Amino acid sequence: MSSRENIRGLLCRREMLRALGGGAGTLGMLSALAPELRAGTSSHFPGRAKRVIHLFMNGGPFQGDFFDPKPALRTFAGQRPPEADLRTERRTGGLLPSPFRFRPCGESGVPVSELLPLTSACIDDICVLRSTWTDNPNHGPALLLMNNGTILPTRPSMGSWLSYGLGSENENLPGYVVLCPGKPVRFSILWTSAFLPGSHQGTYINHADPVPDKLIPFLKNAAADRRTQEEQVRLISRLNEYQLERTGPDNQLEGRLRAMETAFRMQFTATEAFDLNQETKETRALYGEGHFANGCLLARRLSERGVRFVQVYYGDGQPWDTHSDHNSAAVALSRNIDRPIAALLQDLKQRGLLDETLILWGGEFGRTPTSENGSGRDHNHYGFTTWMAGGGVRGGQTYGETDEFGFRAVQDRVHVHDLHATMLHLLGLNHEQLTYRYAGRDFRLTDVAGRVIREVVQG
Amino acid sequence: MVSCACPEFGGVRDAERNRWVSKMRGAILRCLLSVLSLLVCAVGMELRAEERVRFGREVLPILSARCFACHGPDEAQRQAGLRLDLEQDAKSPHAGGIPILAGDVAGSTLWQRINSSDPELVMPPPEAHGELKPEQRDVLRRWIEEGAVWGRHWSFEPLERPQVETDSAKAIDQLIQEALRQRGLSLRPQAGPYELVRRVYLDTIGLPPTPERADAFARQPDEAAWEQLIDELLARPEFGEHWARMWMDLARYADTKGYEKDLGRTMWPWRDWLIRAINADMPLEQMTREMLAGDLLPGATEDQKLATAFHRNTMSNDEGGTDDEEFRGIAVKDRVDTTLQVWMGLTVGCAKCHTHKYDPLTHADYYGLYAIFNQTQDADRYDDSPLLEVLNPELSEQRERCRQRIRDVQVRLARAEQADAAREDALWSVPEVTDSVSQQGATLTRQSDGTVLVSGTSPAEDVYTLNLRVTGRVTALRLQALVPESGGDVGVGRNPRDPNFVLSELELEVVEGERVRRLTIGSARADYAQDNWPVAAAFDGQLKTGWAVSPKQREPHSAVFVLSEPVDVSEAGVLRIVMRQHYGDSLTFRHFRWSITGRDASETQPLEPSAETRELRESLAEARRELEAVNARIPRTPVMVAVGEGQRRETRIHRRGNFLDPGDVVPAALPSAFSGGWIEKLSGREPDRLDLANWLMSPDNTLTGRVWANRIWARIHGQGIVETEEDFGALGALPANAPLLDWLACEYRDNGWSLKRFLKTIFLSDAYRQGSELTPELLSADAGNVLTSRGARYRLSGETIRDQMLAVSGLLSEKRGGPSVMPPQPDGLWRSTYNGQKWTNAEGEDRYRRAVYTYLKRTTPYPSLTTFDGGSGEVCQIRRIRTNTPLQALVTLNDPVSLEAAGALARRMTESPGQAVERGLRLALIRPARDEEVERLQALQQTIQQSLTEGPAARQIVRTARVEVPSGMSEAEFAGWIVVAGTILNLDEMLTRH
Repeated sequence: MSSRENIRGLLCRREMLRALGGGAGTLGMLSALAPELRAGTSSHFPGRAKRVIHLFMNGGPFQGDFFDPKPALRTFAGQRPPEADLRTERRTGGLLPSPFRFRPCGESGVPVSELLPLTSACIDDICVLRSTWTDNPNHGPALLLMNNGTILPTRPSMGSWLSYGLGSENENLPGYVVLCPGKPVRFSILWTSAFLPGSHQGTYINHADPVPDKLIPFLKNAAADRRTQEEQVRLISRLNEYQLERTGPDNQLEGRLRAMETAFRMQFTATEAFDLNQETKETRALYGEGHFANGCLLARRLSERGVRFVQVYYGDGQPWDTHSDHNSAAVALSRNIDRPIAALLQDLKQRGLLDETLILWGGEFGRTPTSENGSGRDHNHYGFTTWMAGGGVRGGQTYGETDEFGFRAVQDRVHVHDLHATMLHLLGLNHEQLTYRYAGRDFRLTDVAGRVIREVVQG
Repeated sequence: MVSCACPEFGGVRDAERNRWVSKMRGAILRCLLSVLSLLVCAVGMELRAEERVRFGREVLPILSARCFACHGPDEAQRQAGLRLDLEQDAKSPHAGGIPILAGDVAGSTLWQRINSSDPELVMPPPEAHGELKPEQRDVLRRWIEEGAVWGRHWSFEPLERPQVETDSAKAIDQLIQEALRQRGLSLRPQAGPYELVRRVYLDTIGLPPTPERADAFARQPDEAAWEQLIDELLARPEFGEHWARMWMDLARYADTKGYEKDLGRTMWPWRDWLIRAINADMPLEQMTREMLAGDLLPGATEDQKLATAFHRNTMSNDEGGTDDEEFRGIAVKDRVDTTLQVWMGLTVGCAKCHTHKYDPLTHADYYGLYAIFNQTQDADRYDDSPLLEVLNPELSEQRERCRQRIRDVQVRLARAEQADAAREDALWSVPEVTDSVSQQGATLTRQSDGTVLVSGTSPAEDVYTLNLRVTGRVTALRLQALVPESGGDVGVGRNPRDPNFVLSELELEVVEGERVRRLTIGSARADYAQDNWPVAAAFDGQLKTGWAVSPKQREPHSAVFVLSEPVDVSEAGVLRIVMRQHYGDSLTFRHFRWSITGRDASETQPLEPSAETRELRESLAEARRELEAVNARIPRTPVMVAVGEGQRRETRIHRRGNFLDPGDVVPAALPSAFSGGWIEKLSGREPDRLDLANWLMSPDNTLTGRVWANRIWARIHGQGIVETEEDFGALGALPANAPLLDWLACEYRDNGWSLKRFLKTIFLSDAYRQGSELTPELLSADAGNVLTSRGARYRLSGETIRDQMLAVSGLLSEKRGGPSVMPPQPDGLWRSTYNGQKWTNAEGEDRYRRAVYTYLKRTTPYPSLTTFDGGSGEVCQIRRIRTNTPLQALVTLNDPVSLEAAGALARRMTESPGQAVERGLRLALIRPARDEEVERLQALQQTIQQSLTEGPAARQIVRTARVEVPSGMSEAEFAGWIVVAGTILNLDEMLTRH
């Protein structure tokens, strides 16, 4: 009920109306906006993207395997150049070349490795950020920085910021959904709304068993069937309306009335949204099988229903954390993501949704060009690859460079804060104005940093 | 590193400017809003247009929002060296003019600059987009014309009791009436008696009344009955449970330590202290002293020490590799921030890194406060020490009982063992030791009891040689290694750190004149031998091996060495014993005795300990286990303990908030702008936490009373007279009814800071008892009810919603206090990265405790409470912003607690056959049921009953509600009642305080 929370940068319409005196004439509008702090504030400027799908390779993929070829690794295989002396999590040995071949793909000719034959066909929609870097070589802090914009575990996640900044597109579903067939390290801290209102927190859904009823806690009433509940909720609404007549025009009550109905509908619309059986055989085949394929398909279903932010975690724990037998793991992991990612991009494009849906791909950091225990690769936060596609991104290009071996981002470096700033920009949000006052000061997703990478954005 | 997103912090110049502009925009909007509301006031106050402009309420907000950022207290951002926050500077010549020339508008450069059409000169600068509105200019113009009388920000002005005709609760009404009259409103008629009873129950104890209690009041709802009702409620034990929640939000209470590992922590004893203190109506002044500095009070009681756990609710970080000093510093800062938030309503977080932009609090002031809190022993340790053992009488008694039992058994056991020893001893004789020599010069003293005590020098290795006067047949020898009866740390060996012995080699000879016969040992047995150090190794011919007894080196031991063949010693002979001890490290015998026997081996078998000894040994072990179990149950709560003299920490400013970048040394000090006469009072001494507490509660502090009165008011009326409860500073909201706030603050202070008396005063006012119906007129004149133009109506807290559901269904447990409990929550939410802590859904009574007892894990707070805006306890939460979301409805519809409450309520309903719906509505809503409700709910029951006749669906409803079908009723019928009960529990009237 305060003006403090929204006043900076984003002035909530409701607050404005209240401040103007909320006279009888504005009452209808007040009611229409009734749910308190439905952040449905508008964006700061028109953005191309309306929502985001974050494909998160938890554990950290090796940049040199996919979009950032490093032939020098082959030339100097086994040697340990001075660049290798970076402080990572563990000790590494000599340079370990990536055995996977690259070729120029699409009209743009951006090189992609043979690990991603299907995704590489979509390269003209993808903008590869080869020079991403982050602050810390350990999973926990790096996961937090990527997801919450800080290594401290008490800040809102980027999905919560987005939901807070843009509000909901669909009153029947949560604005922020996290799909993971298990639990990533740090778990729910990665999608916390922290001090932002609770309605902006990520709704975590373990989609290992993608049966709608098992997906959302409290979504289902364990006791009553739909018909019974329908009767119940209908009567609750009826009696609340009586109450409203008696109490006079109470916009909070009206808001709660609507929330009750939404909750009721959510029990069924959410079920529908999460039901993969509603997809055609062809579509199911396009995405293929497995957790990640199901996750991508669910992400598309939720996205097209207006969920602002969908995160698809690759898997339980940290599957991309290949400290040993890196190459064979990379082959298996790539096989699981290649078809679903290509399918998601094509599917969205075909439905005319790619332009307004921003896809973000990457891990919490990359891996070392040097070997760990001969066949593995250690964490590397100094330089790694992420990519964006759709949502107003200029595809078919690479941005930034790592050094000769891929240790460190050296040119046009993209810090995670920059990635966040750019993402918010594509959504029409100025990352410096998306603030929330808490514990005596204003907070932002990008802390006191962040730079919008203009080159990524379509002209 | 402390990171900070304040616009004023660091960074690239351009970015800074952009941020600044955006901030200014925010500030301008805020100011616009205040001006608009002032305008609204102005309309209502036309009659009093002659009133002079008030500096604190009208001028200062404009200056602070528009000017102080560049011309205010922050030296780092100050432009042109000009300060407008200080009267002297603002009225002195500056750059060829005088900014504010009292009485002369045209001559004031401030007036010229804000009216300038030159973009280079106009203030605020155009890029700040802060152009003043005509109304704001008008305020400044009139103020300068009237003589530019200076003052302070309203909340920093001394607190004075407004003159009102009466001092009773009627004063509240008078002050509210006054404000309402200016807007053409007046107090609304009283709410109905049922509404009133429910309202005052929820506000006082957070639980609904029983219909019977409500009826009793409704039959005679007069003043006396009302007052009696209030007194009755204030005396209930549930009062403390309800009001503790407010304090727990402020204290950032949680049952875990926070950060990554977020391990458990025993804070509930403090929560119980809090509830006791509130129920005892401990004056706020005393609570403040005890919470901030209980340990520093002369003759501090255990309870007063426990109270200081208030500031041990700060988080601690157990993650490997984190710098304890960094997180200790963060905790100290949190204590500064929380203290100023809770008592003074000031947000000081920004002063960690730089001087406050808007309020008179410098960077040095901040670290002066930091220095006060910087002197406690806690240091982000894993064990959270220092800890206080929190004994209740029961545990105390149990512990004493265990200890007594151990003492008793020990005495009896000693006696039994002596008896055993005597029986054993009868088989052995102790010969006289005629000679005893230590090879390394230790002193061997022969005692009258035949023992040898070793003292003097304590060489690493030694060889003892003894001559025993023995005559006749010898078959075996016994060696006893002794410890003092007093026990303690002394053991069988001479090394005090490891009082073990190693008997490397034992040699026996019979010496008869010139004739020396070497004896061989055939076998040996010992009561105990250390692993790899068996007694047989003492006669294997090897010096590297031997007999030793660790870890039982602090108990007596004995060994029997049986000769290969019996030997006869003539009268002139002696038995010579050579004890070689070559392990090193002084592992040599300290006190021992040799005895011999001539009996056959079969007769010298060790005697079994008596049955009594065995029993007593068992009871002793059991008693010790019991004591351990009792000890484990004694809660140990982190508390504040001051560091000793000489260990005081030096405090330096953290430049830009970075603890690794220390600046100047800062002495402990109260903030200069608020310290009043305290500098003299302290007479050069640095203030400690107790001084801080006394200063906070002293009349010199203009904020504490206002902040607290406002807070209590807000908890009752749904919002404060100052809406920004967390900010009473220059950027906070103005009081909607300043005289009322000041009157309440004085009342609270002058009644001795008694919460109960203060609440009673509020409850006795007519304003409190107004009806809560809304009309378009009311909405238009007082949309947010800031003027108390009607009874407040707002959604209850998550805690109260839960408690109320349990109460009306009859499930609520009355168990009070103790460890936090884990009522059901969705599976799989908890996952701690590094520990096996689990959420185990409580069964039985603990499933239905009040929400205040629900376990709060900071990284995974209880979902149905957070969905209703409950916090995580990570930082001080001054108020909860109420949200309305569909997820909340999912909780009240589908949470197991709701389903079980519906089941229990249905049971209660069906106990009144034919009146079930009426009964349910009365229990839940208190007021008498209305016909249309009864009809519709009955119809719902019918519909459900009919649709569920098949069976499994009905059974599912009943089973989920964990309730038995009443006898003589079909499952379908009862399921229908459960659905009706669930409907009632979900009614908005139920979720709302009105």
